[in-house]
Amino acid sequence: MHLLYQIFVDPFVQMGAAPDLFAQTLWDGLVAGVLYALIALGFVLIFKASGVFNFAQGIMVVFAALTLVGLHEHGVPAFLALGLTIVVMFVLAFGVERLMLRPLVNQSDVILFMATFGLTYILIGFGQLLFGGDPKVMIANELYLPSGEMRFKGLGGFVSFQKIDIAAVIIASLMVAVLAVFFQRTRIGRALRAVADSHQAALSVGISLEQIWVIVWFAAGVVALTTGIMWGARSEVSFSLQIIALKALPVLILGGLTSIPGAIVGGLIIGIGEKLGEFYWGPLLGGGIETWFAYVIALGFLVFRPQGLFGEKIIERI
Amino acid sequence: MRAPSAGDTALGEVLLAVEDVSLSFGGVRALTGVSFDIRKGEIRAIIGPNGAGKTSMLNVVNGFYQPQSGRITFKGEVRKAMRPYAAARGGIARTFQNLALFRGMTTLDNILAGRALKMRRGFFWQLIRHGPALAEEVEHRRRVEEIIDFLEIAAIRKIPVGRLPYGLQKRVELGRALAMEPDLLLLDEPMAGMNLEEKEDMSRFIIDVNQQYGTTIALIEHDMGVVMDLSDRVVVLDYGRKIADAAPDNVKKDENVIRAYLGQPHGVSV
Amino acid sequence: MQPIDGSLDTLPKLLMHNARVIGARPAMRHKDLGIWNTWTWAQMLEEVRAFSIGLAELGMKRGDKFTIIGSNRPRLYWAMCAGQALGAVPVPVYADAVADEMAFVLAHAEVTLAVVEDQEQVDKVIAVSEQLPRLGKLIYDETRGLKDYDHGRLISFADVQAIGRKKLAGDAECLARWEAGVADGRADDLSVILYTSGTTGRSKGVMLTHRNTIVSARNANIFDRLDQNEEVIAYLPLAWVGDYIFSFVQAYVAGYCVNCPEAPDTVVQDRREIGTTYAFAPPRVYENVLTLTMVRMADAGAVKRKAFDFFISVARRWGEKILDGEKVPLGGRLLYAVGRLFVYGPIMNQFGLSRIRVAYTAGEAIGPEIFRFWRAMGMNLKQLYGQTEASVYVTAQPDGEIFADTVGKPSPDVEIKISDKGEVLFRSPGVFTGYYKDAEKTAEVLTSDGWVHTGDAGFFDTKSGQLKIIDRAKDVGRLNDGTVFAPKYIENKLKFYPNIREAVAIGADRDFVSVMINIDQTAVGSWAERNNVTYASYQELAAHPRVYEMIASHVDEVNRSLSEEEMVAGAQIKRFLILHKELDPDDGELTRTQKLRRGHIIDRYGPLVEAFYDGSATAQISTQVTFEDGHKGVIAARVAIRDVKIYPVSTAHMVRAA
Repeated sequence: MHLLYQIFVDPFVQMGAAPDLFAQTLWDGLVAGVLYALIALGFVLIFKASGVFNFAQGIMVVFAALTLVGLHEHGVPAFLALGLTIVVMFVLAFGVERLMLRPLVNQSDVILFMATFGLTYILIGFGQLLFGGDPKVMIANELYLPSGEMRFKGLGGFVSFQKIDIAAVIIASLMVAVLAVFFQRTRIGRALRAVADSHQAALSVGISLEQIWVIVWFAAGVVALTTGIMWGARSEVSFSLQIIALKALPVLILGGLTSIPGAIVGGLIIGIGEKLGEFYWGPLLGGGIETWFAYVIALGFLVFRPQGLFGEKIIERI
Repeated sequence: MRAPSAGDTALGEVLLAVEDVSLSFGGVRALTGVSFDIRKGEIRAIIGPNGAGKTSMLNVVNGFYQPQSGRITFKGEVRKAMRPYAAARGGIARTFQNLALFRGMTTLDNILAGRALKMRRGFFWQLIRHGPALAEEVEHRRRVEEIIDFLEIAAIRKIPVGRLPYGLQKRVELGRALAMEPDLLLLDEPMAGMNLEEKEDMSRFIIDVNQQYGTTIALIEHDMGVVMDLSDRVVVLDYGRKIADAAPDNVKKDENVIRAYLGQPHGVSV
Repeated sequence: MQPIDGSLDTLPKLLMHNARVIGARPAMRHKDLGIWNTWTWAQMLEEVRAFSIGLAELGMKRGDKFTIIGSNRPRLYWAMCAGQALGAVPVPVYADAVADEMAFVLAHAEVTLAVVEDQEQVDKVIAVSEQLPRLGKLIYDETRGLKDYDHGRLISFADVQAIGRKKLAGDAECLARWEAGVADGRADDLSVILYTSGTTGRSKGVMLTHRNTIVSARNANIFDRLDQNEEVIAYLPLAWVGDYIFSFVQAYVAGYCVNCPEAPDTVVQDRREIGTTYAFAPPRVYENVLTLTMVRMADAGAVKRKAFDFFISVARRWGEKILDGEKVPLGGRLLYAVGRLFVYGPIMNQFGLSRIRVAYTAGEAIGPEIFRFWRAMGMNLKQLYGQTEASVYVTAQPDGEIFADTVGKPSPDVEIKISDKGEVLFRSPGVFTGYYKDAEKTAEVLTSDGWVHTGDAGFFDTKSGQLKIIDRAKDVGRLNDGTVFAPKYIENKLKFYPNIREAVAIGADRDFVSVMINIDQTAVGSWAERNNVTYASYQELAAHPRVYEMIASHVDEVNRSLSEEEMVAGAQIKRFLILHKELDPDDGELTRTQKLRRGHIIDRYGPLVEAFYDGSATAQISTQVTFEDGHKGVIAARVAIRDVKIYPVSTAHMVRAA
């Protein structure tokens, strides 16, 4: 009885008793959620267009951030470094299409999946070779990203917002908006949706799969770079960052592998869910539930909606 | 219907010729030394029993398969094999036996997708929908609307094609191919799985496309009645080889053809 | 009756008037290539005039008859008015008429020119042109597919207009001459000849004058307060008097806008885009839409369905009362308002009926459930009773006096009487001048003092003072034991079940009543899916034992309800069967307006009728059918016959004919 009280009543009492803390937790969850959503978005883009589950998405985040910081360390001005990093991401996309996807076309999904494992290790090795394995500091100031915090009084206390978090949310939202317009309104966007629906049909109307693949890998690369900058600015740039890709997994389960809105909403649910879980229910289990709580949420969903929040309903008729 | 004389179109120049094409997958031979041509403005039928290599032939023509030997001449240009992109760019459009549509997209978007190659304006202009890109978009939309009108599918304009009945999906697929304004239209069993009424409609559309737009058509079809009614010339494949190539009336009388259709049980044993 | 203004007594005069007075208002729209094109009254006058002068150049003269064939397109309506401006008479023909029907009408009307929609109609006319020695030019609207045709005879609508415009530009007096020609038109000139498809025999050409149609239209506009702000969709056959009056004459008189759909199958979407305010539809349309809604809801999730059912019950309870301005408690009003927001509004919007002000149903009896459903949704649905011979209006229901089982009070200027035999007769300014070239038939229907025999049996309901129609007068028969047998009454009761599309009751001069039933494929198909009944074809579905069981339960309910009504209790259904094919106008089983041709059906299905009365449990039938392209084929089937329970008459005294 006491346990039930602790699970179902007490946390909500606490939320009501200290609304400032509740708002703070929500905000922290939202920021984390936005970043999860960005990573999941990278997965979804690539999966939609080429049917490849890109295991290397996490390392692409690290690689992009490392390249940016590394270039700056070698004396390249910050914004030039940013531009060069974008070029590097394009070269990476181009290379992946030429050296990995094209030779493996028509192979089974598992083989392509394994190939992205290979890509992961190539990027790790390459990154360490060029920029060393030590953690680095993101060049946030040089990129004119704000720092410090803003405090708002109210709700019986105060809520603090890190300026970098606010920037992250704004930039991520802009990024999503640009992508959405791109997919809905442009010829390439239409072609991309076409490829996602049927490779054969897309080929027959003269859509070049190769071109589309380069574009989505490049788009995923830019999304990775954005994620890397934001996340790096909040902590540090190191290879351990790649484990945040694991956070994208429950997001994908929640949002479905093929849905962009799903990735966004899924990211937010996971981000907010795990922060609230950690703060209000964590103490019951001695804390530290943040690392696995996301999977519990995702599993819960899996039982009721195997296709995810927005995924296509798949009905196998026999 | 059409007068079944091979004479009138035999005069047209050769649009596409395949010469001595052989194709195999591993050890299995799909096509062996097949040669034939398609002349401008004609309706060319490719027939044959199941497993005769008809679809493989179409896949060679539009570059889905690269044959091991032989050559393909399209619009006077000789090459060893087609590539899908080059085929589409060169004016070859096709439909598929088992439908290949963008199921999540509407009828309108599916047909618009057929104009992918015709859209030339850059990204930026498209994003802001202004200037030349807007004019271009309006022009494409008008062309697509003409096709919608032509195929009598206005009622399903905004419906995702995945929700349409089969016969209409076939029609949308034809619409998408037409949106490419092709010089050569490849139809892989356009009437498969249709009822009599739908078949009549589809036949009418095929004839209209051929006559009104002068589009050259190559089609695979099982329904002999349809083939005889529609086509100017018929090429017959059996076990991946060409066994006849003539006007429909003559093909009907050809002994090899009769044997192939009525002879020993066919196809791969299971 | 108000006298008709001499300057506004023909349609061309009204057109010129509207162009002058409300020239900038929309007169017509047509959706083409995905875009709505609009013509104002001034623009429409220009189009009509150009075509009219073109027609004159092609040799059209006063008194000529010309035909119009096709679907609802602006140019076909313009063609009618353009001919009328020259004093010629349009004879619109049903676009889906088979060749010999068409040949008969065109030959009988002695048409000298044809304006048709497209290649399909051109082909049909050419196919019968040997029987039409007087037929001259063939004008077509849609050019597609007509490139290789004989252009000595064919000419496009646009080319005729070009001839007219050239003439106008080149001949200074041409315009004045044309306008003088219009001014020469008289109220008693023929406006149109409409061939009625008739349930028996050859069709007859109903001659209506401008006076007939304009007075009738004007009265109707006043009755329902229709003005230039109305938007209507023209989607019913051009050859039908309803369309002629609703989409043409009433529009010219009131100055409202007529919208032509993109294609016959886009009407619902087009209506949604336009937002029609005034609509007319046969009961079948309301029925189909309701069936569709119900089928969709049956497939929806449990919560949604529960909410739907709840709000529908709210609507049934309060909707009609609110519509009729009765007193309703605040709670009821509030619930109804919520329902309108979440249920009724979206449903009405789904079918493009959000802005509807007045909607009519006529032609057949409408199921009371269907009728009340739409009224409960807040649609001002009313009934009217009309005839071609009356320029439509005989009776109509005034706002606020609506009943499901009556057809209304006499329309303005209409007198009605019931003959000794129970037949309804009427007299009005809309009464036709006779059947074209058929004095004999005219004399049968139109008395010398202006009364028209409707051929319908009916009576005035004492409670509401409104007319009730039971059946065709000649169809009311008697069983061998003398019991009154009104087949349509029984059929309608059956047809009110969504699963039953058509029913044919047999019983006149027989020992008992039997019924042949046509199932509704949409409703029964959806039922089958929900109940795991598998089938490969309509025929298989119709013969399925579980479908039989379901239909048997409907028949049983009908019998019980019949047993409670003393007039008809003696004529309950004893045996029934489900037909293996859908009744189809192409096979002559229905008229073009989807009415049963009972006599023809009984002949065609003779073996089944025989089996009813010799007690067989099954019967073999093979029937010839016509496919859409004109090919003929044969469908054969073995059909099962079921017996049903007869209820004892529950009223104390049963009326027996002596």
